[in-house]
Amino acid sequence: MISFTSFPSKPQATSYASSSQYGESKRDLMDIDDEDFESQGSKLTCPGDGHGTYIDDDEVIASVAGTIERVNKLITVRAIRSRYNPEVGDLVVGRITEVQPRRWKVDAHSRQDAVLMLSSVNLPGGVQRRKLESDELQMRGFFEEGDLLVAEVQAFFSDGAMSLHTRSLKYGKLRNGQLVVVPPILVRRLKSHFLTLPCGVDLILGLNGYIWVSKHVKESEQEGEEGFDAEAVYSNVNDDIDEPTRTAISRVTHIIRVLTSHFIPLSDTLLLEAYEWAVEHESDVRDLLQQDFGDALVSSVVSGK
Amino acid sequence: MNSTLLSKAEKSYIQAGLQSTPPSRGDGRGLADYRAIALETGVAPLANGSARVSIGRSPHDGAGGTEVLAASKLEVESVEPGSAGVEGGRVSCSVTCSPAAYPHLTSSALDDLQHDLTALLHESLSHPSLHPRNLGILRGTKHAKAWVLHLDAVVLVDSGNVCDALFMAARAALCDTRVPRTRSVEYKARRNAGAAAAGGGGGVVGASAAAKGQGDMDVDEEAVSGFDTRQIQSATDFELPDYWDEGEPLDGRDRWPICVTLNVVSNVHFLDASTQEESATPLRLLLLFAFESTQSVKLQGMRTLGSSELTSSQLADLLKAGEKYAREIWQSLNAKLTEESLAKIKERNKF
Repeated sequence: MISFTSFPSKPQATSYASSSQYGESKRDLMDIDDEDFESQGSKLTCPGDGHGTYIDDDEVIASVAGTIERVNKLITVRAIRSRYNPEVGDLVVGRITEVQPRRWKVDAHSRQDAVLMLSSVNLPGGVQRRKLESDELQMRGFFEEGDLLVAEVQAFFSDGAMSLHTRSLKYGKLRNGQLVVVPPILVRRLKSHFLTLPCGVDLILGLNGYIWVSKHVKESEQEGEEGFDAEAVYSNVNDDIDEPTRTAISRVTHIIRVLTSHFIPLSDTLLLEAYEWAVEHESDVRDLLQQDFGDALVSSVVSGK
Repeated sequence: MNSTLLSKAEKSYIQAGLQSTPPSRGDGRGLADYRAIALETGVAPLANGSARVSIGRSPHDGAGGTEVLAASKLEVESVEPGSAGVEGGRVSCSVTCSPAAYPHLTSSALDDLQHDLTALLHESLSHPSLHPRNLGILRGTKHAKAWVLHLDAVVLVDSGNVCDALFMAARAALCDTRVPRTRSVEYKARRNAGAAAAGGGGGVVGASAAAKGQGDMDVDEEAVSGFDTRQIQSATDFELPDYWDEGEPLDGRDRWPICVTLNVVSNVHFLDASTQEESATPLRLLLLFAFESTQSVKLQGMRTLGSSELTSSQLADLLKAGEKYAREIWQSLNAKLTEESLAKIKERNKF
């Protein structure tokens, strides 16, 4: 039941350089940049340097590992491992940290807490309704500290904090599942971030790296299909979840962890393939915790691409 | 102790999973399963003994997992009225929590947490029944001296079950600890003035080797001086002989306690909770067991954390179960420590 292992003898900090996917793409970008500058015929002397760079001997050097982005003469490096950089329209999963007058503060894995205004949520009694004082008084009835929600980035405040909204029937409070946190860079922009796996599991891939894995809710049973049912939307009570679904949820969670620990960006097809492979080869969910099993999963899924 | 935010739905998801038949946990473990534990001793070269323990470290990229570092340092202390020194030495423990491990806590809350963990570790490890016998240096005289053993632990990352990790690290560090050998030294007025050429009117240093093998290094032995073979009556100081190893192991290696945290959700209990599971658990029961040998077991300490309550019959069952888990941890930890010390000897023999 309990066994002790040793720490790996060598630090694995060099694995980025040796992993082919990153080593090569970075070199490519660098080459393109060099050619660009040379074809312009001017030697790079004093370019605008952006985030993630510094100047050493008239050369711009990246101070973080990441991808290069250029806007005219401004060069920035976007770090591989960083907090989430929000953009308008992004789908995010967040957790309420504070209830304030007419707004909620939401932790969304970003540099600052996001803001969810009372005016940007759906309230009982129809979508188009004025916000009343009574709504302000019962804000904790909608969302309270610790609650998870899925929302969309609506706009930015002047200080760079993002403003969220949940004014769609797809958005709102989350239940019936568990949260996985992954590096935000590994969640790609997909056609839809609401995935349904055939094993009866729904996935919400927040672009901020928060992933919600939950029991599948049938389209017809989703709250607010006909009319808006505030009771159900803001409910804190889980449905009954049977054993196979629970197992499937923890299996999907493990697969996400294994893939992201190998730094593989997530996509719907990849997750599906990995799930099928895992069901085929494992005898128990716990197998996925073993290193060799995880490695085998990754190599088979990646080679199959 | 941990105030990670969790929504009501998440809490009830975890609790319902634990209570369902068969019970299921978020990561598919069984109720009595630990995450993978990694252990390493001798991590701090300047300490007398040290260890690093990590529970639940991801095998793929080494991220996550509760990580605790413990190191022991011996210091000489004179035993006299008014000083903190105690004849026969003493053990003092402290726990520091890295702010990086608890980013959501304010500094005062972090201080509280450190104080709680320090009290837990110190009270259980400095208990007289566990006291190592070889911490004394000079006894009985007015120049009495003793070792004080400082055991410092640092919580580097907390992803649940920090108490078990703390005691594992403390135990491994104490087992790794070596106490330097000492021998007593006495100053005497010179009797035979012509005997020693090196003068100065001071005194001859009579030294005695007290390396009798085990234990009583503080007992004074015969002087090795060719001129004077009397017993040293009043040892006033000691010296550290140069020796090939760093001293002898700290006494009472097997006795250091094992901590098992039983997380109780209504009528089921489970081990090694993750952070989320900890926040969803109303009651945690900390049990400290000391194993003298495979047969004799002593309950060294017990704490309940949380707002829920226990019936006494429930407690009796939990104690019995806890002892079983603790024994398994004790056996596998001992096996791992033996392996570590063999590896160290092999390392040394290379030179």
